[in-house]
Amino acid sequence: MSASQTNRITGKGLIDRRKPLRFTFDGKSYDGFQGDTLASALLANGVVLTGRSFKYHRARGILSAGSEEPNAIVELRAGARREPNTRATMIELFPGLEAHSQNRWPSLKYDVLSINSLLSPVFVAGFYYKTFMWPSAMWEKLYEPMIRRAAGLGRASDEADPDTYDKSNAFCDVLVVGGGAAGLMAALTAGRAGARVIVCDEHFDLGGRLLSETQLVDGKPAHDWVRAAVAELRAMPEVQILTRTSVFGAYDTGTFAAVERVADHLPKPGVHQPRQRLWRIIAKQCVLAAGATERPIVFGNNDLPGVMLASAVRTYINRFGVMPGKTAVIFANNDEAATTARDLATVGVRVAAIVDSRPQPSAAVRDAAKTTGARLVSGVVADAKGRIAVKGARIVPAAGEAFDVSCDLIAVSGGYNPNVQLTTHQNGRPQWNETLAAFLPGSSPKGMTVVGSAKGTFSLPDCLAEGAQAGAAAATAAGFSAHVPQVPKAEAESYGVVPMWRVKEAKHKAFVDFQNDVAASDIDLAEREGYRSVEHVKRYTTLGMATDQGKTANVNGLAILAALTGKSIPETGITSARPPYSPVSIGALAGHHRGKEFKATRLPPSYYWAKEQGAVMVEAGLWMRPQYFPRAGETDWLETVTREVKTTRSAAGICDVSTLGKIEIQGADAGTFLDRVYINMFSTLGVGKARYGMMLREDGIVLDDGTTARFAQDRFFMTTTTVNAVKVMQHLEFCHQWHWPELDVQMASATDQWAQYSVAGPRSRELLAKLVDAPFDISNEGFPYMAVAEITVCNGIRARIYRLSFSGELAYEIGVPARYGDSLIRALMAAGQEFGALCYGTEALGVMRIEKGHVGGPEINGTTTAADLGLGKMASTKKDFIGRVLAGREGLKDPSRPALVGFRPVDRSARLRSGSHLLPKDAGNFASNDQGYLTSVAYSPMNGHWVGLGLLSNAASRMGEIVRAYDPVRNGDTLVEVVSPVFFDPEGERLRV
Amino acid sequence: MSSLTLTPTNALASALNSSRSSVAIAVLDGLSIAHVAARKGQSAALAARVKELFGVTLSQTPRIATGSNVSFVWAGPDQWLAMARADTNPDFERDLRGKLEGLASVADQTDARALATVRGPNARHVLAKGVPIDLHPKAFPAGSAAITHASHIGVLMWLSEADDTFTLACPRSYASSFWNWLTESAVEFSPAVGE
Amino acid sequence: MRISCPYCGERSLDEYLYIGDATVTRPDPAGANAQADFYKYAYERTNPAGAHKELWYHSAGCHAWLVVERDTRTHEISSVETAKDVALKRNVAKGGA
Repeated sequence: MSASQTNRITGKGLIDRRKPLRFTFDGKSYDGFQGDTLASALLANGVVLTGRSFKYHRARGILSAGSEEPNAIVELRAGARREPNTRATMIELFPGLEAHSQNRWPSLKYDVLSINSLLSPVFVAGFYYKTFMWPSAMWEKLYEPMIRRAAGLGRASDEADPDTYDKSNAFCDVLVVGGGAAGLMAALTAGRAGARVIVCDEHFDLGGRLLSETQLVDGKPAHDWVRAAVAELRAMPEVQILTRTSVFGAYDTGTFAAVERVADHLPKPGVHQPRQRLWRIIAKQCVLAAGATERPIVFGNNDLPGVMLASAVRTYINRFGVMPGKTAVIFANNDEAATTARDLATVGVRVAAIVDSRPQPSAAVRDAAKTTGARLVSGVVADAKGRIAVKGARIVPAAGEAFDVSCDLIAVSGGYNPNVQLTTHQNGRPQWNETLAAFLPGSSPKGMTVVGSAKGTFSLPDCLAEGAQAGAAAATAAGFSAHVPQVPKAEAESYGVVPMWRVKEAKHKAFVDFQNDVAASDIDLAEREGYRSVEHVKRYTTLGMATDQGKTANVNGLAILAALTGKSIPETGITSARPPYSPVSIGALAGHHRGKEFKATRLPPSYYWAKEQGAVMVEAGLWMRPQYFPRAGETDWLETVTREVKTTRSAAGICDVSTLGKIEIQGADAGTFLDRVYINMFSTLGVGKARYGMMLREDGIVLDDGTTARFAQDRFFMTTTTVNAVKVMQHLEFCHQWHWPELDVQMASATDQWAQYSVAGPRSRELLAKLVDAPFDISNEGFPYMAVAEITVCNGIRARIYRLSFSGELAYEIGVPARYGDSLIRALMAAGQEFGALCYGTEALGVMRIEKGHVGGPEINGTTTAADLGLGKMASTKKDFIGRVLAGREGLKDPSRPALVGFRPVDRSARLRSGSHLLPKDAGNFASNDQGYLTSVAYSPMNGHWVGLGLLSNAASRMGEIVRAYDPVRNGDTLVEVVSPVFFDPEGERLRV
Repeated sequence: MSSLTLTPTNALASALNSSRSSVAIAVLDGLSIAHVAARKGQSAALAARVKELFGVTLSQTPRIATGSNVSFVWAGPDQWLAMARADTNPDFERDLRGKLEGLASVADQTDARALATVRGPNARHVLAKGVPIDLHPKAFPAGSAAITHASHIGVLMWLSEADDTFTLACPRSYASSFWNWLTESAVEFSPAVGE
Repeated sequence: MRISCPYCGERSLDEYLYIGDATVTRPDPAGANAQADFYKYAYERTNPAGAHKELWYHSAGCHAWLVVERDTRTHEISSVETAKDVALKRNVAKGGA
């Protein structure tokens, strides 16, 4: 044993003494053992001061031995893995572990800001609300940075997290939450019946309290029984044991969220090992055996290092072989005082006094006092004494004078709160139980059974029996034939709690919420200021709002408020929790979805070719599309885009339009169906032809537009805009399945099936002629505007060709099976070389459609009607279609509705900005003068100046009017002329040649 | 002419198949795929025609029906993906459309999907990292199929009737993201990866 | 929340899209009060605390639209039918196609 571990008890504990581990705390080196937590190792080395508190910078030590820890919050590891606010009680010791205390400067022992503690009358509840009120600018510049520095909860690393995180889905018949006595019995019973069982425990070993106590199970030490039970579970192929796993949320229909700390106990994860794994567990049945959390008692200086929960004291002694002090005072309101006294005395800690706050100390406590030689006091500990660690206790007996006792440990038990959190995540209301002075599970979610101390069952034999019964019942409910087994023997335990929430005789600050530094006096103040609802008190004082979710604080706070308001505890409120039960790292929630994998990316067929060309890419929904193709010597995007437009309009340009949604629509009624979803007619479309169509939502607003071709009487091919592809498919399925299931229509998405390129420009026909297989006639006569055909290209590759134009040029779209998409772009570029053809991106595409006045996403924006977009006349009057009736509403026909027109700057050198608001020429820049806005703008290479499309009130009557394009965000204020939205080739002569 | 046929094997594919890795991932290529949707009121007639033509019973539930030349995996109510070897069925869609005339609408999906197979003792652990359905043999026995998502990418997947191999088909354009997810999910198990 | 798709089996909420009330049906566009009827159909909704029939779309699954009866207070689902079957029955009831 290392000489430094002065508080280690020889021969005690479940640690592995053959595996010593060296670690540092605040730069100082210590030794511990495999099986230690950071907390137990610090205690073994006599370190009791572990941090400073959040607000008052008070000295704090280790309060608990579990996930409820509010005090021993440390910064763990260094560099990129530095992690703030980790609980020393949950950190497993590993070689080279490095931890630092938080909230202290310059050092833990001499913390400058602990002056806050002297000023504590100032830092009361609502202090920030009251003090830092105005001027508001001061918040950003002064108050917030100052408060953050003073009240920091540790520092996160500035570097990217080097570890990977994982997610997984799991399904089971029975989920057992908590691997203590009740949980193990439940898992064994369900597992023996053949059910698929998942057992989760937040600690690194199953066993729960059985590892921390000296009871016998079936005549053996409890941890031996645990070992056998775990071995049996491990041998069952359908049982999965997840240790280091916190089930932190319970959701509808048996859905649970859990985080497994796969490699948190290692210096760093193994090769390809995830650091943590987020589990989504779908369970038919759940047995909640989450145990109970011991409550502190609210007395003066109860936050001093050396004040420790009695259960934690026993855990450090029995499980970790650590003596948490040399002289102890026990302060309890229940029989845990007796067990604690015995365990302390057994390892040689002097029990100076047992202070029992109950009117009559029980026989068990009297007996324990006698055997341990402790002075038994019926009364309270009013104050802990000491500055940075417990030096003594001021005891006030029920009868007689107060007196001081020297000690370095105060073991405190205010009774237990069952861990009912997971029963409340779906609005379950816990029920107050007067006898146990605790909230017990009220209704629990469907399929969940609560057992053991989580249910308020505090005696071991009962916990084992309940676990076995619940395990059998859960397996039976999941369809297995299960038997309740013989339950191992254990001795009954007494409890006898009598509430003691707050020691009135306290002279010093008495803490309720340690992590958020909320004292009883803060609740007093809140109540005096009129906060009577527990929800208000909570928010005003921040009680229970720290990362520990107030596990040790909430019920005490509630009881104190109840006493102040003269109401009962259940009248005052309940403690219901929301997920997560304990903190979950963002990394675990993100899992694989980080960086470029944040969301899925869709790559168009020309993607890899475009990357070779040095294309700049842009996200369009999930798609990654080439935005423009810069060439050496070009200084900005505008220069590139202008070249791409000019070349396309003078020679030929190729653009990957595969991202457009494509849907095969077939069936005898396909034409009828299209008539009902499009505003214009499609049943009359000839085979081998395409038509531009527009569809509305039922409220009369435009949903999407696109071209639909007819390849056979019963076979159409619809295209949608890139971003609306999924939405349109959903809409069509809805219309078919819900409105008109009688129609013979079948649909299949073909977006990914076809690589489709637009080939535009005066030389596009010559270019394509080089690819198209004979005898197909691509001439204007043989294949006129809006014709479509199924052909072959490049010696027999099947293809579809469409004479469509978005650019206003002579243009085609050519589609081939997507596996030929990469090859086709290379072929097209090779064929186009002699014509000076280039490939253009989404920017040039946008410029050309704006020059032609075609609407796009900024115009089809969920607020415009077909009439608003100047396409009202497309709507057929011979049929009904989705959106027809409501598009005819008076309000949607109002001529003052902003409608599509074009704009050009009066000063032709001026730049236009999309989003600029349109105001009458001489009107002030008030919202009341707003008459619309510019939706799309572009520098038009064909006009030599900026042009814009926009939506303007009473647009039809305002041609030639000068209005103001006002853009306060970018300081733009430009006079623009209202013109036709078609800026280039208004007669459309170029596309029909 | 002999009635016995010979099929070639790829040496590296054989190495992959005999790999001792606990999970093996492979690219699956060389299939012609067509979406087959029954015309209104023709489900029974379609099933009969498919049975007659291919000796396969169309499943009305999410399963794959494997035939000697053509397999049909359920792809939604009254819909299937028909799959055949591309080398011997280059015009699969058109052939099928002709054969199922009046009974089903047929659409080519050969290029619409990217396919990968996953097998080995840890295959289910790998898939569980993104596939939100229960793949336990009791819940997803051999021959089962499902339309779901893998790491938020839509997939049609099935478990082979013959061996313990999962096949996942994702939309072609998602292939890169899908592959990144699949390989990253498998890396913990030192996978064998091949084509 | 998990919904049992009649085709695919029980799946988690993230496979579904919600559109809303399944108790309203598209009015007769040729009806005398078509505009008022459509207005009600498009906009007017009750917001019951309790059982509610809703349309859900199995977007990440088989693309079936479903009529789901759900208790809006507890998320308990008491029935799931395909929208197509419900619509066909509705058509029969109306004496339609």
